[in-house]
Amino acid sequence: MTVSVPGSDPALLAAEPSALYSVRLPVFEGPLDLLLHLIRINEVEITDIPIARIGEQYLEYLTLLHELDLEVVGDYLVMASTLAWIKSQMLLPAERVGEDEEEIDPRAELIARLLEYQRFKEVAVELGERKRLGRDVFAASGFELEAPAESERAIEAGLFDLVEAYRRALEAKHDVESKPHEIEAEEITVRERMMEIMQVLESRSSIDFDALVHEEQGRPYTKAFFVATFLATLELTRLSAIRIYQGIDPLGVPEGPLHLRLSIESGDTAWIEQIAESM
Amino acid sequence: MSEIEKRSIAEALILASPEPIPPARLAQLIPHCTLAKARVLVEELNAEYLAQQRAFEICEIAGGYQMRTHSEFASHLRQLRNVRPLRLSSAALETLAIVAYRQPMTRAEVENVRGVDAGPVMRNLLERKLIKLAGHREVPGRPMLYATTKRFLEIFGLSQLEDLPTLRELEELVSTEAGTGDAFATDESGSPAVEVDANLDTSAEPEASLEDVEILGKPH
Repeated sequence: MTVSVPGSDPALLAAEPSALYSVRLPVFEGPLDLLLHLIRINEVEITDIPIARIGEQYLEYLTLLHELDLEVVGDYLVMASTLAWIKSQMLLPAERVGEDEEEIDPRAELIARLLEYQRFKEVAVELGERKRLGRDVFAASGFELEAPAESERAIEAGLFDLVEAYRRALEAKHDVESKPHEIEAEEITVRERMMEIMQVLESRSSIDFDALVHEEQGRPYTKAFFVATFLATLELTRLSAIRIYQGIDPLGVPEGPLHLRLSIESGDTAWIEQIAESM
Repeated sequence: MSEIEKRSIAEALILASPEPIPPARLAQLIPHCTLAKARVLVEELNAEYLAQQRAFEICEIAGGYQMRTHSEFASHLRQLRNVRPLRLSSAALETLAIVAYRQPMTRAEVENVRGVDAGPVMRNLLERKLIKLAGHREVPGRPMLYATTKRFLEIFGLSQLEDLPTLRELEELVSTEAGTGDAFATDESGSPAVEVDANLDTSAEPEASLEDVEILGKPH
């Protein structure tokens, strides 16, 4: 909970109208974090939460949130209803299960979640304290030889070159498809392919378009896959996330396969915003 | 070839490798060298650096060797690089820890653990390449799965995920609880049919979704 608290100063909040980020609660990371806090300040055990008392304090906090008109209230409401439900269950005579005659604590589920969350919080703190590359330690890094091959002299391929490559790939695929095969429904979205292409390009400097449509990763070889790949390539180009190159012959005529390369300047992540929008 | 020569070759390879160089690769590139020998060479180099009070050491990162400076020189090096170090909020660290331990997992599963919307944080981690897409879970809606990246290991100076000691203890805790039959019941048949990094254990994957919580008052 080492958070710079924007909520404590309303003027500060107004000064940062960043719509990209949902407004985060002052200090607390969420309903579970708030509950852990209440448990701590009340000096009670997680395994034996006084639901009535904690629930009341929880609601007080929720009212405060409501006054501040913070968007995240929704996350907290679910927990409030859970607390109310547990409280009502605890007023009812205990249910008994089978021959065990063991009482089911209505709080059990919540306690399990709280314990789990608390452990992850501890792990997170430990992770944060580790010596971090670029902050605490620095690595000797070899010189990255990233220059494009000699044959690729910044000839950027146009749309029709891409369509041509697509047509060739479809033709090649036609041979495969001419024999009967089982039809499997395989949903593939352009968004997925965009992400995948970007991930492929992270591990290598460039990839041939042909190789990309053959990159299957255990996927059935379908037209939908081709179409999605093709559209993803177009979309990434439009977003300036990648550039498409093609070699030239001695006369300066473009020839050979199309290569995809990353074109993102460091920090330009418009593409991921775009993709993530519908995530 | 003398021992000293071999050690020097190992040193040169580790120094100039653009990314952590695996011991097997090292053994391959040094004449007449075995895997065990490669490891010994690295140990000797580190002992030498220590004796000479050098500013760096060879660390095992993401399954390979890399030379890294000691943390006491951080302030000088930050000035040299003139870049802002990677800053991660506690929400980001929590999410990373959860993904590191439970991967591959969906966004909804992360949200179940944290109790809040994980979208912005996960987007941020994706952007910083600390997590990546790792296929789909084959359930209705085919939600995307997320896993930590090699870069995650590099940034946090881990050779493998198992090097996070608390994660190991956590696993023990969770598995004992699973034995007593609470919300952490593992379901191996529910493991996703996706390719996953070899160093991950997908079988130990707890399935505790919010929808399963006994909201309706129906006990197990």
